[in-house]
Amino acid sequence: MNVHLRRFALSAALAFFASVAAAQPEAGMVLIPTGPYAPLLVGKDDPTTVTVPAFCLDVRPVTNADFLAFVRANPKWRRSQLGPLFADPGYLGDWAGDLDPGARAPLASPVVRVSWFAARAFAAWSGKRLPATAEWERAASAGFTTTDGEHEPAYRDFVLDWFGTKSPSPLPAAGAGRPNFFGVHDLAGLVWEWVGDFNTALVSGDSRGDSGIDRQFFCSAGSVGARDTANYPAFMRAGFRSSLRASYVVPNLGFRCAKSIP
Amino acid sequence: MKTKLIPLLALLAILPFARAADAAPCCAACAADAKPAAEKSCCADETPAAAFTAKSLYQLDATWTNDAGQPVRLASFHGHPVVVAMFFASCEYACPIIVTEMKRLRDSLPADVRAETRFVLVTFDSTRDTPAALAAYRERMQLDDAWTLLRGADADVQELAMLLGVKYRQDAKGQFSHSNLITILNPEGEIAHQRAGLEGDVGAAARAVTATLATGRTIPNS
Repeated sequence: MNVHLRRFALSAALAFFASVAAAQPEAGMVLIPTGPYAPLLVGKDDPTTVTVPAFCLDVRPVTNADFLAFVRANPKWRRSQLGPLFADPGYLGDWAGDLDPGARAPLASPVVRVSWFAARAFAAWSGKRLPATAEWERAASAGFTTTDGEHEPAYRDFVLDWFGTKSPSPLPAAGAGRPNFFGVHDLAGLVWEWVGDFNTALVSGDSRGDSGIDRQFFCSAGSVGARDTANYPAFMRAGFRSSLRASYVVPNLGFRCAKSIP
Repeated sequence: MKTKLIPLLALLAILPFARAADAAPCCAACAADAKPAAEKSCCADETPAAAFTAKSLYQLDATWTNDAGQPVRLASFHGHPVVVAMFFASCEYACPIIVTEMKRLRDSLPADVRAETRFVLVTFDSTRDTPAALAAYRERMQLDDAWTLLRGADADVQELAMLLGVKYRQDAKGQFSHSNLITILNPEGEIAHQRAGLEGDVGAAARAVTATLATGRTIPNS
């Protein structure tokens, strides 16, 4: 028995150090280990589960303070400077001024009313990138205590409750929410988030709640349909993404960054 | 047998926890290039050139490659109405219809407008649609000099798709599902009109092309 215990401890220690040595997230990021993701929207030839390689993800959404540093360094992305091609009117609309987030956009709260272009530029400036849909959903599929949030009643209730709650204004601080299994905060419960490839959600805008796509508007080698409409949070997010355009600025839509493992 | 299995199982069991638990801020691999990269890395490709309007797609200075293997910038179409669509050459579904629609649109333009208008196809498939593949497509679809066929880096394809509002995704077999969208750019490179879907006549799109010359006529620079 003692031998078993010692072996267990040794194995555990080895596994821990091996994983730590393999890839270390930088400050503010955690490693999401290689693992499965079951896409909600799949074509008839697509596998129902794909493997998402390990990557680093920010533990919290980008804050107004973070974004202030970005616009200080990059005048082009200040509210008064950014052209209409890269953000609709209302960009950083909660801010008091170009370099002043003000009372409606507390420094510790997530930055919102930013376009996909602005989010992408911030990520590049940070030496990071926006997460892909598969990465974001993989991280968000975990619950508080397991990797399967969909079947963790407390987590499911938490997410569904948030869908039914109006966003407070100003928004609470980023990173204050209970972390999920991977140590990531606020994937639900605070704001919606951009993903780099949000425009891969091919649901025609004029058939809301439709899980299929309209062949007139989309050229499709195989029809793309929703796999599992019972996963309501994932379905909501797919529908939301399909309604976006890259220049949109939305009062409760922010973002976080990701990074590939070198 | 059993004693050998236990450490292995223990290792397997602990692995995900060990990784999930190591949220502590510390850096090695990821952090090496974590400092804010030079500003140019994010913004250089989007710096508005003074010559273009705020809504002009010609602010993008991504370099594309045409079917002759030559570099092309979208700004080279400045001064001309442009009819642009995104497609991929191996598509057997809607893409040939989109190209046929663009031909119909062209045929319905008044002769002087037709002479000014440029037709541009940009592929989603930067892997398979090499210049040679695009040249073969030009041949197959009988596209003359008014047409430009372009391929580009994936990030540039994504950015253009975002600006045009084109959705696309690649399936496991490498086929692309995508919006069927024809966009009319005015001579300044601004989106003047978009035609979604495959049905209906091309009259409205043709009128939109003509209108870009009537209202915003600029002297073609080539």
